[in-house]
Amino acid sequence: MPKMLVPYPDKCTGCRFCEMACSLFHEGKINHADARLQVHKGDVKTDFPVVCTNCVACGEECCVNACPTEAISVVDGIVKVDEDECTACGECVEACPFGVMRMEETAFKCDLCGGDPTCVKFCPMGAIKYEEPNEAQYNVVKKLLEGV
Amino acid sequence: MKAYHGRILKVDLTTGKSSVKTFDEKYVRSYLGGQGFAVELVYHGTPEGTDALAPESVLAMAGGLFAGFPVPTGGKTAFAAKSPQTGTLAESIMGGVIGAELRHAGYDALEIVGRAEKPSYLFINDDTVEVEDASELWGKSTRDVPKMLKKDLGWDVKVACIGVAGERLVRFACIDCEERQAGRAGLGAVMGSKNLKAIAIRGAKDLEPADPGALLEIALRYQKIMEDAPSFKEDTVYGTGEFLGWINKEKGVFPTRNWQQGVFEEREEIDPYHWATRYVSKNKACFSCTKPCGKLFEVKDGEFAGVAIDGLEYETLYSLGGACGNRSIEAAAKGNEICDVLGMDTISAGVTIGFAMELVQRGIVTEQEAGMKLTFDNAEEAMPRMLELMGRREGFGDVLADGVRCAAERIGKGAGRYAIHTKGMEPPAYDVRGMKGHGLAYMTSTRGACHLRAGFYAPELVGKFWRWEGIDRQSPEGKGAMVATMEDFMCVYDSVGLCKFSRGFFLIEKLCEVIEATTGLEFTEDELLRIGERIHNMKGHFNHREGVTRKDWLLPVRIREEPIPEGPSKGSLITNEQMNSMLDDYMRARGWTDDGEPKAEKLRELGIS
Repeated sequence: MPKMLVPYPDKCTGCRFCEMACSLFHEGKINHADARLQVHKGDVKTDFPVVCTNCVACGEECCVNACPTEAISVVDGIVKVDEDECTACGECVEACPFGVMRMEETAFKCDLCGGDPTCVKFCPMGAIKYEEPNEAQYNVVKKLLEGV
Repeated sequence: MKAYHGRILKVDLTTGKSSVKTFDEKYVRSYLGGQGFAVELVYHGTPEGTDALAPESVLAMAGGLFAGFPVPTGGKTAFAAKSPQTGTLAESIMGGVIGAELRHAGYDALEIVGRAEKPSYLFINDDTVEVEDASELWGKSTRDVPKMLKKDLGWDVKVACIGVAGERLVRFACIDCEERQAGRAGLGAVMGSKNLKAIAIRGAKDLEPADPGALLEIALRYQKIMEDAPSFKEDTVYGTGEFLGWINKEKGVFPTRNWQQGVFEEREEIDPYHWATRYVSKNKACFSCTKPCGKLFEVKDGEFAGVAIDGLEYETLYSLGGACGNRSIEAAAKGNEICDVLGMDTISAGVTIGFAMELVQRGIVTEQEAGMKLTFDNAEEAMPRMLELMGRREGFGDVLADGVRCAAERIGKGAGRYAIHTKGMEPPAYDVRGMKGHGLAYMTSTRGACHLRAGFYAPELVGKFWRWEGIDRQSPEGKGAMVATMEDFMCVYDSVGLCKFSRGFFLIEKLCEVIEATTGLEFTEDELLRIGERIHNMKGHFNHREGVTRKDWLLPVRIREEPIPEGPSKGSLITNEQMNSMLDDYMRARGWTDDGEPKAEKLRELGIS
């Protein structure tokens, strides 16, 4: 299985530092809608990072297949959007079963910061790790994303 | 100037109308943000002689300068208003996300005046500001209100609200946001008096720092510094109560049974070294904190099964533990949950119960009047029950819901001697008889007895901090100027929105580069401390104007006349002479009159009008 961002919900404190760092790293400004991952806060017992990563959850490359202009490709296991080719039609957002593909001026999603994910660096609690998941972890990610 | 929108939202609940006023760099250079903005709005907005719970009373809220930016532990929100508990200009700081969300909605501060005709909530959805009907929310808990609002308005809406205690004007009602509270000084009652059940905010606007690269570098650097420090393990494993055993046994300044003792012999169970491994399933953090001291504490079985809280903090282990003689951690957790759900400050609530227990002990109040066996040896049962009554203002709980000062006046029969407070505020968990400077800080604190306005417990207990070494906790010498400087330091902290547990990492001089990366503005250490001094002086001036003078500052009689009876601080007290000499030193250091009024030349010097 390829490396992916693996969340450890029992370690997430709900501080949302990862969201801010992600947005600032990618966009030079902070907007939680720009963050490639979201921390969900429920009641007092639940906080967890929802990590958008490489189609591992569906394994079908739905977004790649849905794109009419071939703006989305998989390079070294990382889903990339070519901003010049993207027409912001929204087909990929529709197609993604887990809501990780998002839309601002163009489609965007987590690109793992080129292999050194910012969110991982900024979580001292180890609630997000960049690693090869075991099957149980893989299923946790899938379940988390389905629940969103 | 980056980072700010330069906009303050003003909402009049009486008319339902809102307006925006703008500010420029001069305002930032005067007040920074957070507490500074909130204090300025109350200082200039609340007319002289206004009752804290009158419609004209201003309630202000502002995210600190760093709130919304990735500065480790820098996400705090400040509320401020005239306090119904103390009659002073009081700020209360929380770790909830609401101030940062306000900034995402395009406002650096919020000023609320007036009184809604019926129960209402305020919904700020970027540029749309509405006062909405909250009749379905009235009577609901601080846990239910956010759920109900998010169901209606969307999961991404952030909510600050009050519980039943705020609605019923309990004088120490708090404001809650995501299990984090602006706990002290009764600002929840101010919301309640305005018929304002909740503030819901959704913000979609960008926050732009001056130098994103520098800010990320600073954030990572400080995060690592904090992570490598010994306090990281203490915070993340045991929380703020980590040093409870040390304060209790080594220092002997853990106030017990309404301050009759300084050592709680039965402390074993409430010590985090006992409970952290047994009841805690994960860490919880304030917004933007990478050094979490919060704990998800769950009771799985027994009488208190089902209790789940973000706690317990050191202060609560004292107020719902030692202060009322309670040795059961599960009962303390239950009490903490009741306070959270009903929306009460755990410190004032617990100390007030301890006070009532001493009145029963001395026969001033009978068990019949109290409606229960309200005694120190029955705390496990009585404390949670009494908290429920206080939060709802039922039975004897109605008397206690006004705090120790008012309750003592109402009860009479010499009860005042056992009411431990300054300016009407019940004190936190440090027996100042063995910590002279911290005792001074309880008096000078603008919102009444407080450990965080100067944070002077740390320098005195450790013996050194920042500019000082060899500090003798038992000596009153030189404490006036030190406490004044630390108050200015802390005003800066509450204005940039940093957690005070970071004060050993971000000393004032180190804040300059963080502020520059965020705003693009250059400040010197002296300029920052000057801003802190300005904020403190505004509060001092307001308080004296409202009739809170030196007579109200004085320490309770017990601190001055009854020495700590046992333990490492045995024999300690603060004599009248020591108290007055420290106060005189402080007033001189501040440039205030002996009565606690900032002199005209001081106000002029600071540009306060």
